Amino acid sequence: MEDILLPIIIVGMLFVGLPWVILHHITRWKSQATLTAEDENLLDELHELARRLDERLCTIERIMTAENPNWRSVACDPASIGIEDITARPERIGK
Amino acid sequence: MSAPRHTKFYLDRQNRKWLGVCAGLADYTGMDVTLVRIGVVVLTLMGGFPWTLIAYWITAWMASDKPAELADETPEQAKFWRGVRTSPKRTVRDVRSRFRDMNRRLADIEAYYTSSNSRLAREIEQLR
Repeated sequence: MEDILLPIIIVGMLFVGLPWVILHHITRWKSQATLTAEDENLLDELHELARRLDERLCTIERIMTAENPNWRSVACDPASIGIEDITARPERIGK
Repeated sequence: MSAPRHTKFYLDRQNRKWLGVCAGLADYTGMDVTLVRIGVVVLTLMGGFPWTLIAYWITAWMASDKPAELADETPEQAKFWRGVRTSPKRTVRDVRSRFRDMNRRLADIEAYYTSSNSRLAREIEQLR
């Protein structure tokens, strides 16, 4: 009995189980393949755009820092504007 | 043949030792070339003898050479596309976070200029 059963099981595993597993993984892998060529171009463009915008922003921030080193605190904290006024006014009038 | 893709596996003929599979793999994943080669050799010696060779040949036969357009990318671009290959989702999130960061910085600049305009108006008002 075992002499007949064992080869059947082995052949079944080899010719049914193995291709099944392989095909299963191939189909899963194919459905997972994500980026199309369009997506890739879009991503490329967005990345390039982000880089350029970043550079421009850095330039503007540098210019602003050169003009007024503490512009960030003035912009971020509206409460400090009044304090800024007092310190800023005498020197402006003085000029 | 369509336009060259950044997310495809290519053989790297420029840095090849034999057929350029290891160099291509290193370029694709961002690992060190020597490390990849040592790994393949060790794998072959450890008992994968015919299989690594067969895999190498099949890869060399199926993959095409790296197009000239992709060869001259800057290190920054190469790093970006490596990130896209390993995880497109994370790269998209990174790009989005960069745009958000720029939006925030621009909002700071806008806030400064609008507030400084109003401050200037107030100062002029006080001088009258």
